[in-house]
Amino acid sequence: MRFVANISNDIIANIENSDASVETALQEVSSGQKVNVPSDDPAAAAELIQLQAESSNNDQYTANTETVLSQAQDADSVLTQVVSLLNKAITLGTEGASLSYDSVDRVSIATQITGILTSVVSLANTTYDGASLFSGGSSGAAFTADSTSSTGYSYIGGDSINSVQVGTSLSVQSNIPGDTLFTQSGSSVLGALSDLSTALTTDGGSDSAAIGSATAEVSTALNYVSSQHQVYGNTITQLQSQETYLSSDTVTITSEADSLVGIDTATAAENLTQAETANNAVLSASAKVLQNTLLTYLPN
Amino acid sequence: MSLIATLSSATQALEAQEEALSVTNNNISNVNTPDYAREIVNLVEADPTDDNGVSLGNGVDVESVTSVQNQLLNLRIQQQTSDESSATAQVNALTEIQTLFPSSGTSLSSALTSVFTSLTALSANPTSATDRDAVITDAQTLVQQFNSISAGLTNSVPTLNTTVSTDVTSLNSLTAQAAAINQEITQQSSGSQTSATLTSQLTAVETSIAGLTNIAVTHNSDGTDNITTGNGTPLVLGNQSFALSTSTNSSGDTQVLDASGNNITADISGGDLGGTITVRDTDIPSLLSSLDTFANEFATAFNSAQATGYNTSGTAGTALFNISSTVAGSAASISLATTDPDAIAASSESATDNNGNVANFTALQTTDLSSTGASATDQAANLTYQVGELTSNATANQTAITTSLTSLTDEQSSVSGVSIDEESANLIRYQQAYEAAAKVVTTIESLFDTTIAMISGT
Repeated sequence: MRFVANISNDIIANIENSDASVETALQEVSSGQKVNVPSDDPAAAAELIQLQAESSNNDQYTANTETVLSQAQDADSVLTQVVSLLNKAITLGTEGASLSYDSVDRVSIATQITGILTSVVSLANTTYDGASLFSGGSSGAAFTADSTSSTGYSYIGGDSINSVQVGTSLSVQSNIPGDTLFTQSGSSVLGALSDLSTALTTDGGSDSAAIGSATAEVSTALNYVSSQHQVYGNTITQLQSQETYLSSDTVTITSEADSLVGIDTATAAENLTQAETANNAVLSASAKVLQNTLLTYLPN
Repeated sequence: MSLIATLSSATQALEAQEEALSVTNNNISNVNTPDYAREIVNLVEADPTDDNGVSLGNGVDVESVTSVQNQLLNLRIQQQTSDESSATAQVNALTEIQTLFPSSGTSLSSALTSVFTSLTALSANPTSATDRDAVITDAQTLVQQFNSISAGLTNSVPTLNTTVSTDVTSLNSLTAQAAAINQEITQQSSGSQTSATLTSQLTAVETSIAGLTNIAVTHNSDGTDNITTGNGTPLVLGNQSFALSTSTNSSGDTQVLDASGNNITADISGGDLGGTITVRDTDIPSLLSSLDTFANEFATAFNSAQATGYNTSGTAGTALFNISSTVAGSAASISLATTDPDAIAASSESATDNNGNVANFTALQTTDLSSTGASATDQAANLTYQVGELTSNATANQTAITTSLTSLTDEQSSVSGVSIDEESANLIRYQQAYEAAAKVVTTIESLFDTTIAMISGT
């Protein structure tokens, strides 16, 4: 090879390459990312989309978890109160069955039982954010007064059980319809309370065996409600652990995305410094080489 | 040897140095002319004369002026120029196209994710009007993304068609030039050797043609070149050039026809023309097809999920998206069939508003939509990968070719390039030789004067 006669083309190409490196390094520093367009790293860009989707989903799952958790906690506290009311009804029923009470006392006890029934119905109509907790998906109340019903109330809600998605493959039951909770055949809370009230007032409450069996009926209902109460307890535990998982998963996703397309400040700064140094070297070398020709040394 | 003969040989020397100076001047003038090959003067000693048994030198002769070129190197440079132009055309078009798939801000993938997160929100609160509105709004954004990306891809095509037309026009003008140069070469070489300048010009024109499309060059014995496209369509045969022409096909794309009117579009490779046609006929259709498949499968699957549920009025869900039955053009034509938030079939029962059907929608995010075996998110990610991969391959290709072209050009510059230093030195060399020859002339003149003085006796 003779020698490269016209070096300026090479010099221009070198300067352009060096300028491009500086530009890339600068972009990395300012954006904090090493993948700014898909072609920078197609696989990482595609992976990032998956991670962004997962991250958005996690945010929404977290929001859902919080909503369902509040609902479940509300329902849980409602059932706690129902359980306590039923315990009170059992105590009253046991007292009513005792021979030391007369008919006047029994009427008074029956009135208290009716009061408990009203309270339970009112609790069964509890709303969360404007929607009834136990209406089984229906937009209105769960129970309404109904003179044709033996208990004086009838269920007007739906029978839907909603499963809310709180994870990629995890859904939790967010509600129990009111009829399942309060008027389940064989362990109906409203039926038992109504029966107890009836037994206490029928014939002045003389049939203590009937009062006893009605009280036993309330006990059965209590056991049933307690077991349903457990469903909410489990849901709450599940949601709380899911919330913890989601928050740690979000951190994992963020750090994965960061390692995929992000660049740490120190590396970015170092890249920029290197690119600048190289750029300076190319420019100063070019300035020297370009000026140097034989003509410089020839007399004018 | 007589003084007269010496004088005439000195005059010849002056002429030779003048010619050498003129070649040096031409080299210096063309120092920055692209594809110019330096010329050199080939000086030879003139035939000697016999002077009483003594052979005396007879001065200098200019044998020829030749252009310093390496034909093999030229061919390789033309080949690489073709490849580089092709890669550059692809990089330029694809870099623009990949901006349709940004990795931050509103994109196809972010719009898709939003639809799913809104649906997940709806699952916690199936009767909420706000959550239903959000689903419709996000579905609308997704539809707009499909429409605008499809339009973005389609709108690149007319620009590429214009490039094809202008490239063909340039190509025709260059092949006409090459034929004209061939003609001149034939005329000149019938008498003497091929002109260095014409050879150099022909090579330069050929390199320009190579920048437009891949060519094959054959050198003829008379110094002319025949040029054909990479797959044999004649462009220049001797002093005759064959102009290509363009026509528009049924889909509105500019096609390239050879001189006999045959469509050679698919055979064109390399050069700006080849690169442009690759982007237009391969890259964009493949991206559009992925986008259309995605739009079609997603909308179809979403509509099917709608049909399995019930809207707020308790009637079976109807299609949310208008989607054509044919896949092609789906992304361009997709639209919302309704903007009524109540139309979302979230419930799995007609009697009540539960969220039983929402899971069928959100499942689309992770389960395969159909035959392609990819979920909605995968398809969005694949599209980004596809455009990124096309662009990054073209860029890597361009970088590699540029590097190899630079080293070839360096090699060519080393053979054919004009060095100012070399020419400056030659300038002084020829100047000194000229001055010396001139001195010979004046010396002989004074010898004549002496001789004449002897005769006249003054």
